Amino acid sequence: MQIDWLTVAAQLLNFLVLVWLLKRFLFGPITEAMARREKRIVDRLSDARHAREEAEAEAEALRARQRALDADREAEMAKVRAGAEELRARLERELRAEAEQKRAAWLDHLKADRAEIVLAMQKRAAAHIRDTVRRILAEFADSDLADQIASEFALRLERLEEEDRQRLAMTAAKLHEPALVESGMELPSAARSRITRAIHNHLADGIEVEYRTAGDVLFGIRLTLGHKVLDWSAGRYLDRIETLVDESLDSAASEAADAA
Amino acid sequence: MQISPDQWILAQWPLFTLNATIAFTWLVMAVLCIGSWLITSRLSTGESVSRWQVMLEVVVTAIRDQIAEIAEIGAEVGDRYLPFIGTLFLFIATSNLLSVVPGYQPPTGSLSTIAALAIAVLIAVPAFSIVGQGLAGYLKTYLRPTPLMLPFNLVAEVSRTVALAVRLYGNVMSGTVIAGIVISIAPFFFPVMMQVLGLLTGFIQAYIFAVLAMVYIASAARTQGSASPAENAENANRKEQ
Repeated sequence: MQIDWLTVAAQLLNFLVLVWLLKRFLFGPITEAMARREKRIVDRLSDARHAREEAEAEAEALRARQRALDADREAEMAKVRAGAEELRARLERELRAEAEQKRAAWLDHLKADRAEIVLAMQKRAAAHIRDTVRRILAEFADSDLADQIASEFALRLERLEEEDRQRLAMTAAKLHEPALVESGMELPSAARSRITRAIHNHLADGIEVEYRTAGDVLFGIRLTLGHKVLDWSAGRYLDRIETLVDESLDSAASEAADAA
Repeated sequence: MQISPDQWILAQWPLFTLNATIAFTWLVMAVLCIGSWLITSRLSTGESVSRWQVMLEVVVTAIRDQIAEIAEIGAEVGDRYLPFIGTLFLFIATSNLLSVVPGYQPPTGSLSTIAALAIAVLIAVPAFSIVGQGLAGYLKTYLRPTPLMLPFNLVAEVSRTVALAVRLYGNVMSGTVIAGIVISIAPFFFPVMMQVLGLLTGFIQAYIFAVLAMVYIASAARTQGSASPAENAENANRKEQ
């Protein structure tokens, strides 16, 4: 077997041509395509990594914001709760104060009402007692009683303090009008003359005396000399009774209010 | 017995004789170029890739990886050697694999083809070195470690090329010679076995040739500046073993 040098040269040329052709049609395009694909994959991976990093950063930021919001909300809630608690306490205090005030006012009112009722009752009771006594006395009053009253009045004039008697006497001396004697019942003439005599003896001799009946005197005699009045009457006892009854009722009412 | 396609004359002109070696080389070249063009004209860079493109990408990636592994360099630097080494591998592999086609004679069965490829490697080794470090830088490597080593370096350079060519020829021709001998003994059974074996050995030849070429080129490129071409050849031989 020999080497054909012409063939060798032709084959060398063929080979070099083939190198060029394959470089042109095979290796160049293939390596380029692979490089492009690799670059694309790398780019996409890098994009994906960036996107993931961004997403993670975003998520972290959102989580931080969420935490901040939660903390804010908690703080706000705590503030609101404290405010509500304070408001509740204040309102409770105010309500308590108001209720206390109302209760005090109500108690005052109650006390006043009670006092009024008690007062009215005492007045009615006193008036009733007085009326009853008055009626009894009016029904049982007769000429003996009138005489008795006249005697008593005369006795009183006689036992009058000297100072009082002098004052009355001076008034009667200056008087230009008759002395007025008022009584609860019609006085018989004997009684009238006894009274007139007593006035003449002890106060002013010769003074004219005028007799009248007056409902409010009830059981007794009222002597009016100008602006001076000498009064002796059972009505005063009755008034005294009313005063006593009122006092006892008042003390009972205040005790009841304190107990309430 | 005709064992070299060089002796199979297809046409003859006064200045040029078209033998089977050249004709089948053109056929292989046509198959490779048209096939590549058909596939690469519809290249896709998206997610969906045609199966032909996948096949080509697998082949190219395997060659690139092999280059990077042998030369111990990155894939980008290795791409400088890819057209030469890749063409070497694809041409020899295709030439041998097409031998299953009846009537086809692999051009690699011709010593002329092998010699041409060996010469191409012989040219490529200094060519890549010159491209890598300039003409002056390349020539200096023959004077290393001392100018006294110049004749030895030159002998080493030539002997490496011759060794490569002989080794290649041995690889390629062994199958054909064995087939020729066995066919004359048992014409019915052995040819089929030998065809199967031929496919395997043809592929291995392509691989070995490409790898050896790359080893020479890489050792030359790598050790320049630190070692002489003779040492490079030694290294290459050690690697080969």
